[in-house]
Amino acid sequence: MNSLCVPLLTRKNYLPYFLCVLLLGGCGDFVQVENDTKGIIYCSEGSPTGFNPQLDSSGTTVDASSHQIYDRLIDFDPVSGELVSALATSWMVSDDGLRYTFQLRKNVNFHSTPYFTPTRTLDADDILFSFDRWRLAEHPFHMVSGGDYPYINSIGLDQLISNITRLNGYRVEIQLERPESSFLANLATDSAIILSAEYGGKLKQSKTKDLIDSQPIGTGPYKFVSYRQDRFIRFLRHDGYWGEENKTEQLIFDITPSSSLRLAKLITGECDVMAFPAHIELDIIRQRKELSLDEKPGLNVGFWAFNTSKAPFDNPQVRKALAMAIDRDALLEAIYFGSAVPAVSILPPTSWAFQGDLKNISYNPIAAKKILLENGIEPGFVMNIWAMPVERAYNPNAMKMAALIQAYLQDVDIRANIVSYEWGTFRGRLKQGGHDSVLIGWSADNGDPDNFYRPLLSCPAIKYGTNRAMWCSPEYDSYINQALQFTDQEERAYFYAKANELLMAEMPLVPIAHAIHYQAYRANLTGLVINPFGGIRFAPVEKN
Amino acid sequence: MPQFNLYQEEFPPSPLQVTWQEFKLNHIAVIGLYCLIFFVVLAVLGPFLAPFDPLQQHIDSLLIPPSWEPSGGIVHLFGTDGLGRDILSRVIYGCRMTFGISILLVLLALLIGVALGAVAGMSRGLRSSFVNHLLDSLMAIPTLLIAIIIIAILGTGLVNSMWAITLALVPKFIHQTRDFVRNEVRKEYVMAAKLDGASKRQLFFNSILPNMGEMLVVQGTFALSIAILDISALGFLNLGAQAPTPELGAMLYKGIEVAYIAPWNIALPGAAIFLMIVSINLVGDGLRSALRSRLLHS
Amino acid sequence: MGNFVLRQFNLLVLTLFVLSLFSFSLAYLFPGDPLTNLTGIAGSEQADYQLLNDAFHMQGNVLQQYFYYLGALFKGDWGISFSSGLPLTNEISRTLAASIELSTYAFIFSFSLGIPLGFIAGLRHYKITDNVLLSVSVIGYSIPVFWLALIVILLFSLQLGWFPLSGRISLLFDVPLKTGFILFDILLSDLPDKQEAFYDALRHLILPTLSIAIVTTAIVLRITRRSVIETMNSEFIQAAYARGLTSRQVLQHHGIANALIPILPVLTMQFTTLLTNAMIVEIIFSWPGIGNWLIQAIYQRDYPAIRAGMLAVSSLVVILNMSINIAIRLIDPTRGRLEHATI
Repeated sequence: MNSLCVPLLTRKNYLPYFLCVLLLGGCGDFVQVENDTKGIIYCSEGSPTGFNPQLDSSGTTVDASSHQIYDRLIDFDPVSGELVSALATSWMVSDDGLRYTFQLRKNVNFHSTPYFTPTRTLDADDILFSFDRWRLAEHPFHMVSGGDYPYINSIGLDQLISNITRLNGYRVEIQLERPESSFLANLATDSAIILSAEYGGKLKQSKTKDLIDSQPIGTGPYKFVSYRQDRFIRFLRHDGYWGEENKTEQLIFDITPSSSLRLAKLITGECDVMAFPAHIELDIIRQRKELSLDEKPGLNVGFWAFNTSKAPFDNPQVRKALAMAIDRDALLEAIYFGSAVPAVSILPPTSWAFQGDLKNISYNPIAAKKILLENGIEPGFVMNIWAMPVERAYNPNAMKMAALIQAYLQDVDIRANIVSYEWGTFRGRLKQGGHDSVLIGWSADNGDPDNFYRPLLSCPAIKYGTNRAMWCSPEYDSYINQALQFTDQEERAYFYAKANELLMAEMPLVPIAHAIHYQAYRANLTGLVINPFGGIRFAPVEKN
Repeated sequence: MPQFNLYQEEFPPSPLQVTWQEFKLNHIAVIGLYCLIFFVVLAVLGPFLAPFDPLQQHIDSLLIPPSWEPSGGIVHLFGTDGLGRDILSRVIYGCRMTFGISILLVLLALLIGVALGAVAGMSRGLRSSFVNHLLDSLMAIPTLLIAIIIIAILGTGLVNSMWAITLALVPKFIHQTRDFVRNEVRKEYVMAAKLDGASKRQLFFNSILPNMGEMLVVQGTFALSIAILDISALGFLNLGAQAPTPELGAMLYKGIEVAYIAPWNIALPGAAIFLMIVSINLVGDGLRSALRSRLLHS
Repeated sequence: MGNFVLRQFNLLVLTLFVLSLFSFSLAYLFPGDPLTNLTGIAGSEQADYQLLNDAFHMQGNVLQQYFYYLGALFKGDWGISFSSGLPLTNEISRTLAASIELSTYAFIFSFSLGIPLGFIAGLRHYKITDNVLLSVSVIGYSIPVFWLALIVILLFSLQLGWFPLSGRISLLFDVPLKTGFILFDILLSDLPDKQEAFYDALRHLILPTLSIAIVTTAIVLRITRRSVIETMNSEFIQAAYARGLTSRQVLQHHGIANALIPILPVLTMQFTTLLTNAMIVEIIFSWPGIGNWLIQAIYQRDYPAIRAGMLAVSSLVVILNMSINIAIRLIDPTRGRLEHATI
C-alpha cells in the first residue's frame, strides 16, 4: 500500500520543491559578476587607525590614505626611485642648503564630498596648514587625535624645519636649522601629505576638529566615501584629479586579516589585488594563469629586537648569545620559503650604503649556552617573545617565527612565552616597553639609509616608539648625525660602517631577513607597480 | 554419557540481554560500536600509538602531504602541518583530548543534572513549577550559545570552555531526570514502596534510580556527541583550547591558514571529529531503537 | 485558551526579566571594575570617570542601577561598542538581521527537503529507501558544521570556482540598508544594476545556506519519519483503510496532518539550532552576522558589545520559542505541554 503513495507524491507534491532546489543551485551559473570593470577590490590586511598618515606610519594606515586620498609636494618615481614633481612643480635649494623654495601646481582640486565642498583650489595656505600641524605645538590642530606624529618626529623633520613662509599664493619657502641631505627624500615620504586648510577652518568653526582624520579631504585620485571597521573602506574616483585621468570608478578595501582568505578571495575573483601574499602561497599564484605575481627586492628588514632597558637584556653578551642560539638560515627557509635574503645588518643589499664585508654571527647553540651560563642566565630562564599578529612585508608570519624561535631557545634551556595582541594594541604596548623581545621589522619610506639607522635605533626614536630595542647609544647617534652632514655617498658610508661595527658588538637587535616585496593581483589588471618605499597606489590601476 | 534432563532449560533473558540482542541485529549500529571502541582504544593508548610527540616541530619537513599523495612520505603518514608537526600524532592526541574531555564533561554534567533533576522531580508546588517553567524556556537556548556566553564571562581557554560546556549540558539532564521521575512516581511499584513507608530519599535511590540507567545511557550518548561538537566548535572559534594544544577543533582553526595549499590540515582533524560523532550517534541510535523494540515486543 | 496565552506571556516576561538581570550582572561578572567594563575608561582618568559615574547612575544602589539599565534598554540605548565606537543598537540590529536572513533561508530549505524525505522514509520504513535515507541522515546530522563549511568552500569556491566564499554581496554594490535582509534591500533599492546585485547576493547565499541547512534537514527528516511511522501504525489509519480508502486518500486526509501537527513545535524549535550553527558558519564565510560580530567582540574583550549581543540573541531565541508555543497551541488546542525533540 505504501509503495503506491510514493510515486504519486513524488509526481505531485515534491516536484515543485525539487525544482526550487535546482533553481536555487542553478542561479550560480546564470550571471558572472566577476568581470565587472566598474571597480577594483583590494583585499587589505587590517583596519587603518585613521585616514591620516601623519599620525600613523604603519603600512596599513598609509596604504589606505597616503597615495589614495592625498598627495605630497614631491613623490618618488616608483620605478627609478628618483624624486619627481607632485603638488610642487619645481623646487630650488639655496647654496648653503638651508632654504628650499617650492613652486606649487595650479588648479589642483580638493575632494568634493557630501560632508565638504571646497570653494578654492590648492594654494600655499594648505602647505603651511599641513606642515604646521605637526611642526608647531600651538597650531589649532596639533593636539587633534593625540598630537603624536611618530614618523615625522622619529626622523626629526619637525626639529629640522625652522620656518615656513608663504612667498605668494603658489610659492612656499622652507628654512632648515642645518643642511640635511635627506630632506627632500623625507618630503616625499608617505607621511608628508597635504591637507586642506579650508576644510580645517570649517571643522574648527563647527567644533568637530576630530573629523579631519576620520572624514578626510585631500587632493588625491580617490575620495573617501565610507569606512566600517574590520569590514571595508569605500573610495570613489576624484573626478577633478590633477594627475592622469583615472579610469576606475570605485576603489574598495576589503579588510581581510587572514592571508589564506585573501588568497582564496583572489582566486575566486572576489578581490582584484591582495596585500602580502604568504610566502608559502607564492607557488600557487605563479601556477595560476589568471593571477599575476610581481616581485622586487624590498627596502625592508625583519628583526628580533631585545628590550635593552630590561635586565638581563641590557647585557650585550646575553643578546649575542641569544642571537647565536637561533638558526637564521632555517628560519629564512621556514618563514620566507626562500623569498628573502639573509640580513647581516639592518640595511638591505639594494641600498647604496650596504656594507658587503660584514660577517654574520653563526648558529652555535653550544657556545650560546656557555655564554648564557657565564652571564648568570640559569637553565629554565623564562622570557617572552612578542610576535606581530599581522603579516608585514618584512615578516610574513611572526607567530610562526616565534614558535620556531621558541623551539630553538628550548635547546639552550630557555623557556619562551609567545605574546601577541591585536595589532593596534600590540604597537601601543610595545611602545610602553612591556616586552622582553619582539619580532617585528621596518619598511623604508624612502631610499635613504638614514631611514633605517635613525628611526630604528637612535635615542630620540625610543620616545616615538620606533626604536623597539629601547637602545640608546650617544656614540651611535653621533655617527648617524655626522653621516647626514655630507652629501658624498662614500663619506656617508664611512660613518654607517662605523655604526654597523657598533651594532655588531652590541647586538640590540638580531637582523633576520630582507624580504622580497611581492604583489599578487588578477591578470586582467594593469598599471599596478610595486612601490619599493611601501604604500600601494591605485591611481594608475585599471581593470580590463 | 550425558545425563538426560527432563526439563528443557529456559532462562528468560534479562532486559539487558534482550537489548543487546536487538542491538546486534542493527548492523550499522554495530559498526558504529566498533568505531567507538576504536576511538576509546585510541584515547587510552594514544601516547603509545603516536609515532611522534604532537608538539615536536620538524623544521626540515614542513607541510609534507600525507603518504597517499604522490609527493607524500612514509615517515609522516598523515603529513605535517605548517610548523612541521606530525599530523597523525596530533590527530591521535587530539582524539584523546577531545574525546576524553567530552566523556569527563558528560559524566560531570550527568551527576549534577541527575541530582538537581531528582530534587525537582520529587518536589511539588508553586516553587517547583515556577523553576521548571523557567528552566524549560531557558533550555530552548542551544548549548553552544550558552557555552559561548559563559566563555565570554570566564575568558577563553580550554578549562573555561570545559566549565562552560558542562554548565550548558546540565539543564538537559535536569529536564530528562525530572520528567522521568515525575512519570515513575505515579507508577504502582513506587506507590507500593511509598505505602510501605519509604521516605522520598529511599524512594528515589531504591526504586527510581535503578530504572533510570537506560535513559541515562541514551541521554549520555546524546550529550556526548553534543559535547564533542561543542568542545571542537569552541576550539575552532579560538575560544577554547589555545594554539599548541593538540585539540581537534583548534587544529582545524590553525589549518585554515594553509587550507588551500595543505587541505589535509583541515580534512584529517575534521574527519576525526566527524567519525567520532557519527559512531556515537550510530550507537546512540541503535540503543534507542533496541530499547524501543524491546518494549514493543515484551 | 486565553488563560494559556496569558500564562505563556507571563513566563515570557519572567524569562526576559531573568535574562536582563543576568546581562545586567555581567558588568560585575566580567573581570575588572564594572564601570571600566562598560565604558572602556579606566579609573585613573578621574574627570571622565566621575562624569561617567553619574551618567551610569553608579552612585546609586544596585537596584537603582538595574532600573536605570532597564530604562536605557527600553529606550533603545544599548551602549557603545569599545572597538568601533558605534552605538550597539544599530550594530546589533544590522548583524542580527543578517543572521536571521541566513537562518530563514536555510530553515525553508531544510523544511522543503526534510519533510518530504521524512515522509518517504516513514512510509517505506525498514525498506531500502528508508535505510539509505536514515544512514545519510545520521551522517548529515553528525557533520560538524564548521568542517562542512570549510569543505564546501574548498570544493565549490576554490576548486570549481562556482560560488564566492565571503560576505553577503560583492562590495562593489553599495546597497543602502533598509530592512537588513539583503535580498529585500536590493529589491527596494534604486541601484542601476539591481538585477546583477540580486543575482550576486543569491550566489553569495548558496554555500552558507547549504552548509547550515544540511544538519537541520537531517534532523527534520528523522523527526518526520518517526512521526509518520507512528501515525501510520495508529488505529485510526487502520480504520480508514478498513473503510476502503485508497492509500493516497488515507495519506491526504488523515496521514499528513496527523503526522505533521504533533511535530511542528519540535521542528520549529530547530530554528534556534540553525541560528547557532549560522553563527559559527558566519565566521567562515565572513558573513556580517551576529555570530561573527559577537565572536570578534569576545576576542577584543568588548564587554558592552558582548553584554548587549548576548541579551539580544538569547531574548530572540526565547521569544521565538514562546511564540511558537503559543502559535501551535492556537492551531492545535488539544496539545499538552511541549515535548522535547528526540531524533
